Amino acid sequence: MRQVRIVMVGDVDAGKSTILGRLLVDIGQVTPARLAELESSSAKRGVPVEYSFLLDAFQIERDQAITLDITRVWVRMPEHDYVFVDAPGHRELIRNLLSGASEVDAAVMVIAADEGITLQTSKQFLFMRGCGFTKLLVAINKLDLVDDQQRVFEERSAQARAFLGQIGIEPFAMVPVSARTGENIASKVPGAWWSGPSLLDALGAIEVDRARSSGPLRFIVQDVYRRGASRLVAGRLDSGRLRAGERIVFWPLQTSAVVERIIDWPDELQQAIAGESVAIELDERIFVDRGATASHPDDAPLLGQALEAEVVWLAHDELRVGEGLRLRIGTREVPVSVQHINEVVDPDTVEPMQAEHVRSGDVAIVTLTSRELIAADGAHVSGSLSRFVLVREGTIVAGGRVRAVVARPRSEGATNVTAQTSSVGAWERTVRNGHTGGVFWLTGLPSSGKSTIAMTVQRMLFDRGRHVYVLDGDTLRTTLNVDLGFSDDDRTENVRRTAAVAGVFAEAGFIVISALVSPFAADRERARGFYPERFFEIHVACDLPTAEERDVKGLYKRARAGEIAHFTGVSSPYEVPQSPDLLIETARETVHESVARLMEFIVAKTKL
Amino acid sequence: MADAVLDDLDELEARTVFILREAFACVAPLAMLWSIGKDSTALLWMVRKAFLGDVPFPVVLLDTGMEFNEVYAFRDWLVGEWNLPIVNQQCAPESEVDQTLPPAARHAARKTAGLRDLIARENYRGIILGIRRDEQAIRAKERIFSPRNADGSWDPRSQPPELWDYFPYEVPDGAHVRIHPLLHWTELDIWRYTRREGIPFVPLYLARDGKRFRSLGESNITFPIPSDAATVDAVIAELERTREPERAGRSMDSETEDAFERLRTSGYM
Repeated sequence: MRQVRIVMVGDVDAGKSTILGRLLVDIGQVTPARLAELESSSAKRGVPVEYSFLLDAFQIERDQAITLDITRVWVRMPEHDYVFVDAPGHRELIRNLLSGASEVDAAVMVIAADEGITLQTSKQFLFMRGCGFTKLLVAINKLDLVDDQQRVFEERSAQARAFLGQIGIEPFAMVPVSARTGENIASKVPGAWWSGPSLLDALGAIEVDRARSSGPLRFIVQDVYRRGASRLVAGRLDSGRLRAGERIVFWPLQTSAVVERIIDWPDELQQAIAGESVAIELDERIFVDRGATASHPDDAPLLGQALEAEVVWLAHDELRVGEGLRLRIGTREVPVSVQHINEVVDPDTVEPMQAEHVRSGDVAIVTLTSRELIAADGAHVSGSLSRFVLVREGTIVAGGRVRAVVARPRSEGATNVTAQTSSVGAWERTVRNGHTGGVFWLTGLPSSGKSTIAMTVQRMLFDRGRHVYVLDGDTLRTTLNVDLGFSDDDRTENVRRTAAVAGVFAEAGFIVISALVSPFAADRERARGFYPERFFEIHVACDLPTAEERDVKGLYKRARAGEIAHFTGVSSPYEVPQSPDLLIETARETVHESVARLMEFIVAKTKL
Repeated sequence: MADAVLDDLDELEARTVFILREAFACVAPLAMLWSIGKDSTALLWMVRKAFLGDVPFPVVLLDTGMEFNEVYAFRDWLVGEWNLPIVNQQCAPESEVDQTLPPAARHAARKTAGLRDLIARENYRGIILGIRRDEQAIRAKERIFSPRNADGSWDPRSQPPELWDYFPYEVPDGAHVRIHPLLHWTELDIWRYTRREGIPFVPLYLARDGKRFRSLGESNITFPIPSDAATVDAVIAELERTREPERAGRSMDSETEDAFERLRTSGYM
């Protein structure tokens, strides 16, 4: 049966658990044996029949008559299964409230008639809005404690409506109840002043938002599985629909391919819709990994290196400008820092305030920046690219919603430049950079594709926040190696100098991709000596006729005509690597495939 | 165009598959407990769905030697049928568990000890379990990713937040995280799904001579309920009507008011 998930919120003692316990009893879902057990548990503690004991399962909860952690109660009705999430009202248990609130379809806010809206109640309203909740029913409870029920109900309702109006929430219903006496919970009291619905009837009006297949396609990549020769991209459609044969783009790297098959093992689908977990096979081998999100080409998410977001801060200590955290959005995790605290919402007045820091339980608007490109959605697209969490040392410290994506971060002030290598250890650099340095030495015939692949991979790594630099043979010959020609000795020196520079860059934490013909095996072996920890020989292989046919710079033609001496492949030998760390065959694979294989190789070899 | 929506079983299944894939991508090494009951067998089927026919981590039975013969027979058959990477973990004898627990709970505590031994030996950082929130009030308070202390114990008073489908993956050295991909399912959902997908189950769940098992535990502490439900359809019809709790036949749950809470905080499943 379809589940409708409802969270119960309200201040401590407003009677949330009691309402639920009463509801279970009134609709006949509690067995006589369980009721008897309840009566004896209550008697043991010297209280009248305590309906909340049906929910409060922990000893300490029963002893102190409070709810400690969220719990869930199933109420089976003919049209729906209602799952009530009972969340505690205590201030220190806000994180539990949010854990409950983030998974539900609607909320019931319980306000005690004798108390009205307390500071805790207003804070909870703000959290609800912070989480994107607008479906709210207000129950004014404990009307059995007041004399003029109708007048008190009307006063409390008006107060709640005014408060909610200030923060932009329109409740879909307001109902009077009395949990202790069972009035207006599961059924109306005959002949009473109230002519509206009972609580249970009012809940029937909830319209549930399911994952939206009419929204833009967002396929969140969780993993890539290899099955035989196939690579299957596994993930979930957060919104939209996907059909076999469609072209999709993976963000933020913007690789693109056509969906060949959609697999819902053991079946194959022609189409998948929002909410489904599937695996897809692409027509071409492109670079895709966990953290990417696919869309249709004309319906992309926003891309940027800064987010403006509304966050609910859950950690005990304060959040300050400059703090480094990890942002998890979709399946992507990137380091961010808090660039600016734009405003903090005052829970008393609901007015925005300027503040230097965000305290535990505050709702704030902040600007987060990252070195990496982030794909995100604004509030108009439901799904995980519009909401995120912030993580510190493995613990979730905030939940938030994206308000805007800023293309470039504002200036961050002076960057600390470290002049002396010796005072900073390699490991410190690695930790700060989030990856190790390394030399990826591309060798191959002229026009085999080294520069093309190196440049594309450099762009992708850069967009993923990696420190990366390409040392291109031709470019270096115009500067560092301008004095060198193409004799065997000069070639050896050319490789030596380039390798020395590559080693320094790698030492400094960079991923260096060098693109040099480097035809002699002995020279390449010497190059390894400049950074033996992480030096990888990558053979960009291509047969001579294909390379000659490409002849990107027209050099083969000139070599054949005798205009260039010592041209590798024509008038000078190329010593094929005997056991390269990676072999890329550009005559056999597409550029996308070659790029994907080098990306995967570099990402794996420079992992923390 | 009309907004196409998944039916409820598809939605439950998709979420479970999502959770399993998150666990596999972010926690290693990983193992799954298979009690051979209806829930963990349905979960095993969804593991195969998530990983396209494979079961990419060991599947562990915490064996007290007290399971029903039918349970062992079903295990041996399905291991062959689905090519499961099974590990049979023998549990410590009753004499080695907390003697202040009531008698039936002591049997359950043997499983806790078996799990502790398994984790200590294999250094698992993640354990996947097929528990559901609607089974029992203490389990209703569980998180999907539930961190455990180094001794396997659970501190329900300081559970980390779990927002939307963002789970805490990082596990301190020596500790582990329990992963619960079935928390959002009900008993009725499991049976309807078992019927739809044609998932095999131990025949003890169906009535014979006016009795059937609604929940399967060790043979000495689990009792059948009166029932004429001899087919899956009849079981579903019975569950749609009943008000009796699922674990009524489990004596360990009800020996004392706090029996189950004590078991769980010390590391029981």
